Amino acid sequence: MSEPEFFSPAWAAAVRDALSAGPPEPDRAGKLQMYWDFFDRVKAGYASSWALGCRDLPAGPASLFIQWGGGTVTDCRVTGPGGTPEATYVLGMDYADWQALHDGYDPQRTVMYRKILVEEGNILEFFKGIYFFTECLAVIGKVPAGFGALAAH
Amino acid sequence: MTERKSPTAVLHEGPRALSDQQVRQIEGAALKEVLDVDIDDVIEYVHKDMRSLPDYTTLYRKYLKQRWDVYDLDFAQDKIDWTEKMTEPERQSFLAIASGFHHGERQVEIELPVFMIGAGEEEKLHISAQIEDEARHTVFFDRFYREVVGLQGGDIMAILDASFPWVSETFVGPFGLLAYQADEVRRNPYDERARVRYGTTYFLWIEGVLALSVMKVTLSYARWRGFLPAYYTGFTATCRDESRHVQGGMKYLQDAVRKDPTMIREIHETLRTILMLAGVASREVIYEPLGWTQDEVRMLMFQQLGRKLNDVGITLPPDLQAMVSSVQPVLAGG
Repeated sequence: MSEPEFFSPAWAAAVRDALSAGPPEPDRAGKLQMYWDFFDRVKAGYASSWALGCRDLPAGPASLFIQWGGGTVTDCRVTGPGGTPEATYVLGMDYADWQALHDGYDPQRTVMYRKILVEEGNILEFFKGIYFFTECLAVIGKVPAGFGALAAH
Repeated sequence: MTERKSPTAVLHEGPRALSDQQVRQIEGAALKEVLDVDIDDVIEYVHKDMRSLPDYTTLYRKYLKQRWDVYDLDFAQDKIDWTEKMTEPERQSFLAIASGFHHGERQVEIELPVFMIGAGEEEKLHISAQIEDEARHTVFFDRFYREVVGLQGGDIMAILDASFPWVSETFVGPFGLLAYQADEVRRNPYDERARVRYGTTYFLWIEGVLALSVMKVTLSYARWRGFLPAYYTGFTATCRDESRHVQGGMKYLQDAVRKDPTMIREIHETLRTILMLAGVASREVIYEPLGWTQDEVRMLMFQQLGRKLNDVGITLPPDLQAMVSSVQPVLAGG
């Protein structure tokens, strides 16, 4: 079966399933239980939404909208091109950095090196869940995706 | 090195009083002479002027006298100590702590320029000096990892890539926050509230608490065992540089709150986020090979945070005091 195209509805559906399932056991095994307790606690109470943008898709900027609630993903879809969905946190990243994340670039450094940035939203509140976010970024990066589309630049 | 006491002795001795002669020795030591300076004295020196903070021009003039050439260090003996004298548990413990600093120095170097835009003119002099200091510290760690640890890479980023596996997953807490706060300042360099939040993360937490604690753990180990003389020299000189950074940063926060007392809210809100994250660890760091326990490291962190807040006159509401009491921060620095 071929992998879904990056930022396609099929890819968004796969991301939803992967995020709801959470990090796989081999990834969990390498880190302390207290870290995962924190992750699980944040996930259980998280009621915010993310609009994870890709700024330079060929057809124009688009976002992956993810709504959290009740410890799971309640909505996950690609929006755009054109316009940004209402979300608690609007973030942006370039196509090449999305591809790098998919190829295994570290999600922690994706944040620290400003590959992905909060463009709208309260940064201090966002960072209260930063370990949850970076682990979710790692999960998203591992969802198979085809990167056939050429970046606009 | 003139004395070899237990790495944790100062925890139990409490704050020490520096004589005028000791202060002159710390302030005036040339790079080679730094080997004979006690790291505990330098950390005490950081706090010396905290109640009456020096102005930015004074700090800049100190920088001009105290800057050192990172290429003057000779790591030959360190390489021997690392490969022939230190045990594998000591090396692994050392790397688990020092790698946070390796990456932290890079982060505080690149996140500082945007803060300079909205600063006063004298403060700009001090910040420009600090940027150069941080660049030099980045090179110091690059040399240490290449020439002592033996990592290989074509450029600075390649060495950072090679040491990154030792960096804990929770490093992104303070340093990711700093990156995003720097971006907030970049978008509006004159937003004083954003600058105070940034300053709380950078100057109070990363430099004032995390960095000084990391320095103390690895440097007191090196002094105790008589190992790694170039590391001890360069990193103790780095600590002297940090004294100017912390004093300048505390002056900035103190002035901001005096000018507008509501700024204390920005400090408190930032500390709420930081302390919520600081109690989480993703990896177990074994401190014992370096002469420390987790509880002693925790005590060290509390001492550093408490002294800064107390000296600068920042009071905490009860909920933050409770968070401070329960937190067990993970070491990283810059």
